[in-house]
Amino acid sequence: MQLMVDYPKPWLLFGVATVISLGYMGYAFILKWRAWNRGAEETRRAEGGRGRATWIWLAEVLLQRQLFVLSPGRWLMHILIFYGFAGLLFLSLLASVLRPLALLGLDRGLSSFFFQGEGHLFIKLWGDAFGLALLAGLVAALFRRLFFRSVQLDNSQADVILLVSLLWLALTGFALEALRVALVPVWQARYSFFAQLFVSPGAYTYNQLQPWLTALWSLHAFSVLGLMLYLPHSKLMHSLLAPVVIAMNALGEQDREDIYWPDVKKHRPTGSPGA
Amino acid sequence: MARREEAQADRIAGRLTRRQLIELEACTRCGECQVWCPVFLQDKRECISARGKLSLLQRLVNDGLPDTELQDFLQGLYECSACGQCHVVCPVRINTHELWEQTRESLVSAGIPRPETQTKQLLTIKRANNAFDKPQQDRGLWAKKAWEAGLLKAPVPLWREQPSSVLYFAGCTASFDPEMQSVAVQTARLLQEAGVEFSILGDEEPCCAGKLRRMGDLEFKAEAEKRISLFAEKGIKEIVVSCAGCFKGLHSDYAALWPGAKKVRHLTQFIDRLIQDGKLRLKHAVPLTVTYHDPCHLGRHNQIYDPPRRILQAIPGLKLVEMPRHRAFSSCCGMGGGLKLVNPGIQHSMAGVRIREAESVGATAVVTPCQTCYMGLQYGVEETASSMQVYHLNEMLIRSVCPEVSCGEISARFQHLQTT
Ligand code: SF4
Ligand code: SF4
Repeated sequence: MQLMVDYPKPWLLFGVATVISLGYMGYAFILKWRAWNRGAEETRRAEGGRGRATWIWLAEVLLQRQLFVLSPGRWLMHILIFYGFAGLLFLSLLASVLRPLALLGLDRGLSSFFFQGEGHLFIKLWGDAFGLALLAGLVAALFRRLFFRSVQLDNSQADVILLVSLLWLALTGFALEALRVALVPVWQARYSFFAQLFVSPGAYTYNQLQPWLTALWSLHAFSVLGLMLYLPHSKLMHSLLAPVVIAMNALGEQDREDIYWPDVKKHRPTGSPGA
Repeated sequence: MARREEAQADRIAGRLTRRQLIELEACTRCGECQVWCPVFLQDKRECISARGKLSLLQRLVNDGLPDTELQDFLQGLYECSACGQCHVVCPVRINTHELWEQTRESLVSAGIPRPETQTKQLLTIKRANNAFDKPQQDRGLWAKKAWEAGLLKAPVPLWREQPSSVLYFAGCTASFDPEMQSVAVQTARLLQEAGVEFSILGDEEPCCAGKLRRMGDLEFKAEAEKRISLFAEKGIKEIVVSCAGCFKGLHSDYAALWPGAKKVRHLTQFIDRLIQDGKLRLKHAVPLTVTYHDPCHLGRHNQIYDPPRRILQAIPGLKLVEMPRHRAFSSCCGMGGGLKLVNPGIQHSMAGVRIREAESVGATAVVTPCQTCYMGLQYGVEETASSMQVYHLNEMLIRSVCPEVSCGEISARFQHLQTT
């Protein structure tokens, strides 16, 4: 049984645009790399403590321990955005890797499992879960920024643009999913547990919705490419660089007798004076 | 960007490390640094907070900055006590205070001058070997005077005459500032009480040069190397310092240049061990309710939180209460990083905030093991017209071990010596 709803997509245009976006991103990163490379070597090399540094990295990056101790509310918001975004990215990467592999016959049947078979339902389930997490985190972040006016937020234009862009992606993604759900039977729609709340499953025919599906898919997919172009110039860079910096600092800090050492637990903050 | 600006940006970037350049872009702009920054509390401009400085510096090393923003950045960079609070609370752990010091150095190397008051002080340190512009031969006079005034059990030997296992490095402030000489005298007496064999360098003792690093002097490395050769030449293996600034200098700043830096201990670590080993006996009660002020250079920069607290808790009759901001979150008194030279008003207000915090927990005195913080907190007392007492930790120890060498007694006997 074919579980995936297939409809025409502008693959050629999208392929060309993807190559251009990736090329631009690569170029921007090369420029960044060159700019960082103007810097000097560390005078003090990290020695030892790699095991401990790994634990610190896991706690700080994957669990975001420090943020949790400072403010559980902000931690929840950030962790929702972080895992929502990372999860959706993973699912998209899975699809982008499997498709070319399938064309070359190297996918060992995985693409038919994930696109046509039961795997597709799991992708939909997780897609909805990650999307919902991202949406909830973004709405909370925007709410905090625009209405709560927390003391430490500077509300620079760039920060708001990024939040709004991510929100746009999450919303177009859900709209697309809702359209798809409107074509499938109830038992399938249940896997898209959030999107199904907004439409009646199976209420429309393919012919009625196909042009909308194609249009919305294009809008969503090209918006993703837009974000890729914006990424090297946006605050989103921190999502790539913060884990690198945490790793570099955790490795060097034992030698510097810095905050992670000798005992991380002793130096936990007692709560943020901010909000 | 014009070619001249590009070359300047490259020069600035070239003196920062790769990690530091990446750090500029890793900032999440969460603003956590801002709400904890003790300077921002006094001057609420974005360029004062770590976030503001990081973003301006990122633009400076990449695209250059228009003059008004460059001035803002310089103000933020130099109106900063390099206290390291932003480093501790940053979820990305950006090593900010190290970055500020390194940036100060790189700006000067790129031809962007630092504030004149700082330059003047650095020149004095390099010329006179101390920040007080006093003659070097007066450096060890405190020891001679203390012996003549009957404050010591024995004369303090000079290293060149009698080298020993431990060097007591008194530092510029305790050597030259008449208000603070009591710290050196009390340290010597406490070490004598515990039976520690030690010597001092006297007029051969150099300034630790830590201030050069704090204010980004280009000659820091060369100056540090001179001191390291001196220690090697003299066969010095272990150093005890009674100043948090000297400890930061000799222990932390020299670490990249000298393995011996590991053998530099702060007095609180040394005394704590002596008490635990039963060599220093705390006999007399000191009936005071005190709070402890963590100097940034000991606490946040070097993780020395427990030894001074253990010492205070071991003093009979003394009650220790903690301020809301303590240990890694201790609020800076504003004396570090050359801030006071640039904007004394902000330092006074910062210290005032700390004094108010001490009052809020019902303490009658603030105790600190750093003479610079001691002086800084005194400004806070003046600023707030508070009745709070400020003590160096030595004073608490001395009152319990040998009260006859209390600060009051020292200044009375020194004055008497001067008049006779
Ligand atoms: S080092 Fe201290 S004074 Fe400087 S920006 Fe950070 S928190 Fe503020
Ligand atoms: S706390 Fe760290 S990540 Fe957050 S704004 Fe400050 S420097 Fe940036």
